[in-house]
Formats: sequence, C-alpha cells, structure tokens
Amino acid sequence: MIEDGAIDHPPRPLAQRLGAILWPSFFAAGVATMVFFALVDPLELRDITLPAVEITRSMGYSIGFFLFWAATASSSLFTWLLLRPPSRFTHPLADEHRGG
Amino acid sequence: MGRPIASRLLEDAGSNYVSERKIYPRDVRGRFDRLRTLAVFWLLGMYYSFAWLRWDGRQAVLFDLPARKFHIFALTFWPQDFVFLALLLIILALALFFFTALAGRLWCGYACPQTVWTEVFLKIEHWIEGDRGARMKLDARPWNRDKLLRKSAKHIVWMLLALWTGFTFVGYFTPIADLGARLPSLQWNGWETFWVLFYGFATWGNAGFLREQVCKYMCPYARFQSAMFDRDTLIIAYDPLRGEPRGSRKRGLPSVLERARGLIDRALAYGFVFRAGRHVAAADAQAEANARSIAAMAAPTQGKGIAAMAAPTQGTSIAAMAAPTALMSDPLPRFLGEELGDCIDCTLCVQVCPTGIDIRNGLQYECIACGLCVDACDSVMDKMQYPHGLIRYSTQNAIDNQPSRVLRPRIFVYGLLLLAMTAGWAIGISTRDPLIAEVLRDRNALYRETSAGIANGYTLKLVNKRREARTLVVRLADNAAGIILAEGQLTLQLEPEQVMAAPVELVSRNAASGRQPVVFLIEDTDGTLRARIDSSFFGPVR
Repeated sequence: MIEDGAIDHPPRPLAQRLGAILWPSFFAAGVATMVFFALVDPLELRDITLPAVEITRSMGYSIGFFLFWAATASSSLFTWLLLRPPSRFTHPLADEHRGG
Repeated sequence: MGRPIASRLLEDAGSNYVSERKIYPRDVRGRFDRLRTLAVFWLLGMYYSFAWLRWDGRQAVLFDLPARKFHIFALTFWPQDFVFLALLLIILALALFFFTALAGRLWCGYACPQTVWTEVFLKIEHWIEGDRGARMKLDARPWNRDKLLRKSAKHIVWMLLALWTGFTFVGYFTPIADLGARLPSLQWNGWETFWVLFYGFATWGNAGFLREQVCKYMCPYARFQSAMFDRDTLIIAYDPLRGEPRGSRKRGLPSVLERARGLIDRALAYGFVFRAGRHVAAADAQAEANARSIAAMAAPTQGKGIAAMAAPTQGTSIAAMAAPTALMSDPLPRFLGEELGDCIDCTLCVQVCPTGIDIRNGLQYECIACGLCVDACDSVMDKMQYPHGLIRYSTQNAIDNQPSRVLRPRIFVYGLLLLAMTAGWAIGISTRDPLIAEVLRDRNALYRETSAGIANGYTLKLVNKRREARTLVVRLADNAAGIILAEGQLTLQLEPEQVMAAPVELVSRNAASGRQPVVFLIEDTDGTLRARIDSSFFGPVR
C-alpha cells in the first residue's frame, strides 16, 4: 500500500514528458544564447579557443545554441529523474533473476 | 528491516495512461470570432509582409546575426545596445501583466502565435474536411479514397503554409529576397535549410496537432496568469444566477429576466453548477442514459421546485441539513419549466471551445479567453429570443452581483511602471551614443623599447552607428610623462555603420616608468562626436 497522504500520479504520456523536458530547456537555451552572444562575438571566441577551426558567425550561434540546449535539457532531465515518485523505481525483480 | 515495497492494485485492467482526447472545435460566427479573425489577418499579415519591406535600401526588419546588427525600420541595434533589448523584454512582460490584470488573457485569445496559427490551421481543416460533425465522422470512418484525398490535401496545404512560415522566419535573419532568389537553384546553406525545416515542422506540429495541449501542458503563462487575476479582472464568464438550473424546455418560455423567477441565490446557483459539472454534459448524457438502469433515472424525472432544493441552504429543514454530503454531488433532478434558468444546456459553448472545456464550470486555467463560447451562446439566445450575455465578458464580481471596479490599485501600479519603463526606453533609444570607442591594451607585451623610446601597443575599437561616413581624429591628451601617439595624430575614415579595429602605438620620449595614466581624445572633423577614453601606459620600473 502507498503510505497515507502520498499521491502516486499515473505516468504521463511520453509526449508530455518529452515536452516538459525539451520545451523549458529550449526556452532557457534561447535566452542564454541571446544574452551570451550579445556580449561575445563567436569569431572572437573562436580566436581565443580553437583558432584553427573554420567557422562563420551563424555557425557559432547555432553551435552555441545547441550546446546551451544540451546543458539545459540535461538539467531538466535530471530534475525529472529526481522528482519521479519512488513507485517508478520499485519494481519486483524480473523472473529470470528469481530462484534460478 | 526493509521498507515495504509500495504497491497497489490497479482496478482498471486497461492502460492507466491518460490519453488526450482529440478536440473538434465547432465553427462559430459572432463578435469575438470577427475580432479574432481580424487579429489573425493583422498579426500574420505583419509577420509575412514585414520581411519584404524595404527601408533606406535595406530590408526594413532584419536581424543580421552575421553582421551583429539588428535593423528595425529606422533603428539599428548593436550588441552594445543589449540593455535596450533586455529592457524591452521587461516592458513586454509588464505589458502582459497589465493587460492580464485588466482584461484577462487577451494575449492567449488574440495575439499568441500558438492561437493565431492554430486558428489558421483550423480554418484550413474546416475548409477541406468540413465542419465539426463531418470531421468527427471522417476520422471515425475506415480509410477510403475520399478520406485519403481529404487528409492528404489538408496536410499538403498545412505543410506549404508551414514551410512558408519557416522561410519567412529565416528571412528575418538572412535577407529574404536573396534567400528567395537562391531557392530555385537550391543554394541554401546547411543552417538556412535546417532552420526553415525546423521552424516549418514546429509550426505544422504545434498548429496542426498539439494545439490546445501547448496551452495546457507547455505554456508557463497559463500556469501563472492566475497571479494577476482578481475578482475585478475581465474574464469570459457564465452567469449561473441567470442560467441555473439548466435544462431543455418547450419553446415559448421567456427569459428569467422577464419572468417572476429572476436571478437565483448565489450559493444555490453555484451548487447547481457543481452538481451538473460532476455529471456528464447533456450531449453525452443521451448515450450514457441508454447504458444506465431505468430505475436510477426514473426518480429524478419528476419535476422539483427550486424551493425544495433551496431548503438545505436556508437551514429550515434539519433533516435535510443532516443528509450526508455525498448527496450534494448527486445528479440534479429535472426542473419544471418555470423554475428553469436561461441555459438550455445545448452544450454549444463546449463544442466551440478550442480547449474543450465547459465554461459553465467557472474560470479554468485552460480557458484562453477566445470568447467563442460567448458567440455560440449569443446565437442560441437569439434563437430563444433571450437577451444576450448568459456567457459574457465580465468580472467575477459583476457575475456575482457584487460591486465591481476596473480602476484599482493593481492597475495603477502596473500601468505607472509600464509607462515609466516605456518612457525610459524611448529616451534611452533616442539619446544613444552614435559612436562607440574603446581602447584595448595589447596583452602580449607590457612595453617595448624602440629607438623612439618606450612603446606600448593598443587596439582602438570604433563603431560608427550613424548612417553616414565619418572622419575621426584621434589625439592623446597632454600628459606629464611626455607620452604621445607614434604617428602624432591619427585620422580615421569610418564608413556608415562600420565597425573598425585600428592598431595604435604610444611612445614615451622621456622614458616614462611604471604605470602612467593616458587619455585618448577622439573627435569628429565636424565636431559633432566626441569621446574621451582613459587607459594606461606602462614603462619599466625604476
């Protein structure tokens, strides 16, 4: 039985879970990209990090955006993992591991 | 000792996923529908046409990322103007608060891109697949030639519009005429192609499929809009005092506003709403009724008076008060014609709702305030020859027959803040420095010894924000250490809106030591621009 007062919400559809992770992180990455590249020119950033790499400004913006998105999406994913109710993790062991 | 493993028996044998039911909004005509259509034409008209406007020989609205310049009609924004963009976003957020507090979710109903594009996609769907009933039938039907044709026609039109939307979007970042010219020969670069397809796909998915789910599950504003609401905020509201108890009736029964019954007590009205809301809407009731036992339906069919229902609230009948509370959420009995409110329970307001809610249950976070239920209800009121306004744009206080005022402290605070920030922004924009000048010391060497004396290298960064060419003279202010520009005086020619980085060398004739402050003076030949930049000169320590 579930302890008194605890609510075990049924799992949400995959689309909702994906949306709740990808969408806020997309939004945050967009804002971060905007602020970051307003202050930093991608070409200057290249010059002080990987001067040998051939990039254009637009490529720099896109790479920056996807890096930010990867970071924010990882954070959202982590939050989702931590907020999952214990019932999602407490399964009986699979049959082949029992008694075999 | 281990914790007991949390487990429970699921009563339902099927999946416990809550699958989203597809919503088929019915088409409706009326005041709010016209307003919404107008908003769609205005906003999408701006979106699709502004990319093609010209200004001063360039695209009027162009976010030129490769050049790090944003052009918006007469204004040009530079990376250094980021503070204005940040301020603009704050102003927009504040405007959202202001209008939400004043008139509810105007943004959601009329201006949100999600709503606007969904509206267009729905119109296309309606045009190809027919009205609500036809669409439901089409979806339920097995695949045949007609269904295949209609569905593929719809998706082709949707996709063309979505791709055009993506193309326009990219056109705000890359000159759109050039982008269009390169399309036939397929000469777009990887990122241009990617963003056109990405934005097109997002439009197609959001407006064609996700629709109201974006508002319900993805939108942060829907979750915090209630913080700006109070009982004097304009909302789309159903008037339960006038409408309850709802029910079908014989033709010819006049409105409650013209009958002795009049409006009923507030607690009683909300009690009816609650109980009706706990049970399926009339549209589904018929189907449900067949499955139910006749015995359960038999008792409530006898007409009952409101007086009988009102008894518990008046506290006259102790026996009724003592009744278990479960009774309070039982299905409502049928009421006699004279007792009925103005709601005929036609459920049109539910059928037209793009988010699929029943507005009669009161304000809900899913409600995007589009007002289509108002249009639907007004059309029914016309047919019944009842006055409009059973569902109307009103405040909770007005609906509850309480005094209601629009001008309240919250409105003034938001309004004044908005005004002050907008004024500050406008002043800031109009008094922007037309010249940006920065001096960066070369980092590689602190100083060099040359035949002319100790030398320091600098990079002069100049941005001419004006639309005309400038000739700038760079000098060094007189200083005790005898430091001068190696060239004596530097004259630089700046093209319109040019960003320039010029190397500059300073030398000290009388061997300055340690850190010496220096001041660069930059002046326009016609004397309209002037800049003073403080920097440092380093010599050997003695």
